[in-house]
Order: sequence, then C-alpha cells, then structure tokens
Amino acid sequence: MPGLVRRDTEEDIFESSLNLEGAHYQQGFEEGFADGIGAGREEGREVGLKSGFQVGEEVGFYSGCADLWRAAVEIDSSAFSARAQRSIKQFQELLRAYPLSNPEDERVQDLLETIRVKFQALLSMLSIHLEYPGHPKARSADDASF
Amino acid sequence: METSSGEPTSNGFVKPPDFRREESGRGGAAVESNGHGLGMGLTLRLVQELEGHSDRVWSVSWSPSGHTLASCSGDKSCRLWENLTTSPSSSTWRCQAVLEGGHTRTIRSCGWSPDGKLLATASFDATTAVWEVTGGEIENVATLEGHDNEVKSVAWNSSGTYLATCSRDKHVWIWDVQPGNEFECMSVLSGHTQDVKFVAWHPTKDILVSASYDNAIKVWAEDGDGDDWRCVQTLAEPGRGHCSTVWALAFDKDGDRLVSCSDDLTLMVWDTSADLADLSGSGQAQWKHSTTISGYHDRTVFSVHWSRVNGLIASGAADDCIRIFAENREDSSALPGESSFSMVAKKVKAHSTDVNCVQWHPTDPRILASAGDDGTIKIWEVIGDLSLVG
Repeated sequence: MPGLVRRDTEEDIFESSLNLEGAHYQQGFEEGFADGIGAGREEGREVGLKSGFQVGEEVGFYSGCADLWRAAVEIDSSAFSARAQRSIKQFQELLRAYPLSNPEDERVQDLLETIRVKFQALLSMLSIHLEYPGHPKARSADDASF
Repeated sequence: METSSGEPTSNGFVKPPDFRREESGRGGAAVESNGHGLGMGLTLRLVQELEGHSDRVWSVSWSPSGHTLASCSGDKSCRLWENLTTSPSSSTWRCQAVLEGGHTRTIRSCGWSPDGKLLATASFDATTAVWEVTGGEIENVATLEGHDNEVKSVAWNSSGTYLATCSRDKHVWIWDVQPGNEFECMSVLSGHTQDVKFVAWHPTKDILVSASYDNAIKVWAEDGDGDDWRCVQTLAEPGRGHCSTVWALAFDKDGDRLVSCSDDLTLMVWDTSADLADLSGSGQAQWKHSTTISGYHDRTVFSVHWSRVNGLIASGAADDCIRIFAENREDSSALPGESSFSMVAKKVKAHSTDVNCVQWHPTDPRILASAGDDGTIKIWEVIGDLSLVG
C-alpha cells in the first residue's frame, strides 16, 4: 500500500484481523495436507501390499510350476524334449533374476512380461492347458475383429 | 506430382480418362503418359468367379504347383479349388474339398507348405490347424495352441522347417516343424505394441517380417544357433515408415526387395538386399526404404503380392479395386539405386466390396486370384504385353 511504511521488527497488531482470510486458508491447507499425507500413506500401503502380493503370487506360481517340471525331468530325463528342458532352465533363471525385493527396479515390468511370454511358450511345448488364475486374459468373444 | 489421366492425384482429384490414349495402348506399344512410358497397358479379364463360401473370404493361397487354390472364410471353413484342365485360365475351376470342423471361429489366413503336402489354417479361435493333403485324403494332423486370442496370419519358411503365426495378442510365434507332423513352439517374439496382422518369410533366408496395427514392420532373425530369435530391425517412423496400420507384406522373387501395404493408402518398397546377419562390415547393415507408391489408392490397401514370375505387384483394397504396378525401367529422373513404380492396370469393382487378398499364381505369369468381403474368389487373367512391363 503506497504511503504505508512497515518495519519488519514491528509487530502489526492488526495483522491477524487484516489477514483473516489468508490465516484461515493457511490453517485449512495445513490440516488438509496432514489428512492427505495420512490417507495417502494408508492407501499407498494398501495398494503396495496388494500389488506386491499379486506380483509375488504370480512369480511364486511360475516358480512352483518350474520346480515341478524340473523334478519331472530329474525323474525321467526323456519326459520333455531337449528344447523344452532348455526352456525350463531359462525360465528358472528368469524367475531367479526377478528383483522381488526391489520393486523400484525399473525393469520389473519388462522382466515380468518376458517371464509371462516364456511361460506361454512352455505351456505350448509341454502341451499343458494351464492358466495362471490371477493373470487377466485378453480373450474376448469379439468377432468384429479384422 | 506428375500423373496421367484416370489416376487420382495426391489430393484425390481424379482426371477423366483419355479414351484416345487407351485405344492405342491396349496390347500395343507402351504409351507416353505419366512420364515413365508405361501407361495402363494391361487389363484384367475375369476367368471365373468361385462361389461356395457363406461368409466373407479372407485369404487365398496357391499350392506350390499352382494346381490347387485354398481359400479361407468367416464361415469357419477352408475350401480347395482345382481346375479340371491343366490350364488355370480355363473357366473350369471346381471346389474339390471343404475343410470343416477344424475351427470354431473365422479362418483368417491359410498357407501351403513348400512341398505342397501340408496346409496351415490360422483362426480367430486362437489356434492354427495343420492339414495333410495327400491325394484325395485330407486330415487334420495338428492343432497349434498358444496364442491368447485371434491368430491373423500364418506362413511357412522356404524350406518348410519353420512355421510362423501372429496374433492380436501382439506376439509372433515361431514353430519348429518336426517329423511326424509334430510342431514345437520354438520362440515367442514380443516387440509389436499392437495387433500383428501379417507375417511373411524371406524367399531364401530364415528371416521373418511382421506387420502390425502399430504401423511398424519388424524384421526377425535367429541369433546364433540357439532358439533365440530377436528383432534385428524395425521399419517405422520416425525414420521412413507407414503412418497407419500395415496390413500385408511381400518379398520379390529373390528377396532383395519387400513391398508393404497400409491403411495410409500407400505401398512402400524396401531395399532388403543387405545381409542383416553380417556384422563384420563398418556400421551395421540395414534394410532401407526405397520408394513410396502413393496417389493411387482411395482406401485402405489390405493386400499386396509380388509375383515371382512376372515381377509385377498386385494390390487389393477397400475401394473394391485390384491394381497392378510395374517397375519403371530406365527412369532418368530416379536417383541412383532408387526405383519407381507406376500403375499398369486397374480393375474397378473387382469385387462388390472390399478386396481382402490378392495372390499371383506361382508359375503362370498371367493368373491372379483375389478374395473379397462379398464371399467370392475370383480368378483373373492379365491381358496385354507383359514384356513391356515385366
């Protein structure tokens, strides 16, 4: 405001009344922020638990399948073709290399996709009709496809 | 762009045909028209219309001898057609067999093995069936499962040792053909980000190309002698590439060139002579864009095929037309190493609606087959002097 000189050290006894709107805005913001942090952390924990569990469950499912197939080969080495056996080994390596403890590793999505694709290939090689129950399938009855 | 009358310019305007020119051009000497001296010197004569399918026909495939034509349809069946005579231009084609019960949904693509003994059919039911055709007997000998959803295309390599399929699930599968009609999944290739529409093998090398809704063409080759297949090159923007869905691909006779067709209304010809496996030279060898054939198609081009016999390119499009293109020889305006093509024939209303597939006969230079949404297959004979354009 022109003409009004204010010195920093002087406490303006009118400040709180003149700045009412600003003060309330500030207070409201701080309360909302605190609520948001709390709710966000809660939701984040829930989402993290859920997606972490889902990823773990999927990788675990594949690992279980791979262990079983490996065991079958150890019992009967002619159970599966040479190619299938090679693929099972590669599959297990992929699963071992998956960074379960490091969700922030930027490769997690690509690695999981590679594992899924390898699983599909193995199902075909072993002539197994299996489906990971948790994985969303894109199969639809849409006959309007070209 | 210089253009002759009768062909659409790049802004879609069609000039009225020059009748004086057409009279002298038919079957005679090449006529000066679009600056390249070829003109519309050829025409297509309908040999026969093959009816029988009860739904749209998606694709046709000639057996290696050219004796049998296989067709596949939305009616979930595949039909085999043979000519009562030894001449494919004789209007005596008959349906010899109907392959039913192999699929529960549309059959989208079919292809003969190089020895002509097996026929593969790819279906929206997510499987690929293999049929053994021996004499009068036809038997479903294998069903390849693995894709998540609709299989769009199937192709055998030149030696018949590998089979490739592609699907809306964005993957390309390569199958190892083993004795006793056993097929083992060799590799699942991911890379495309959308529906993969078409796969084709190089005529001599084990190199596979795929075309997708993601506008890209990908080139796949085997890495070492393991089963590792990887994408060795992607032909797409931001370099030279199609700007919409690529629907089909075809190599020329020697595999030195590839033609692609697209929803972007163009055909693109690629120089594929570089040996992609050769990493010894300075800089990695790459396939390159050679030329774009634009201004001829009004609607999506669904199919393209390069004859191994007469060197002509045929296209089938959503505007119901079949077009034939020939390479311009001694084109002084072209840059060294570049080639240009012009249209030498156009069949308007080849089908009453979309043309889904065009396929040149493997041995007879004048015969072309087409399949349409109208549920028919048509056999065409090219009339005109091929020596001027081939």
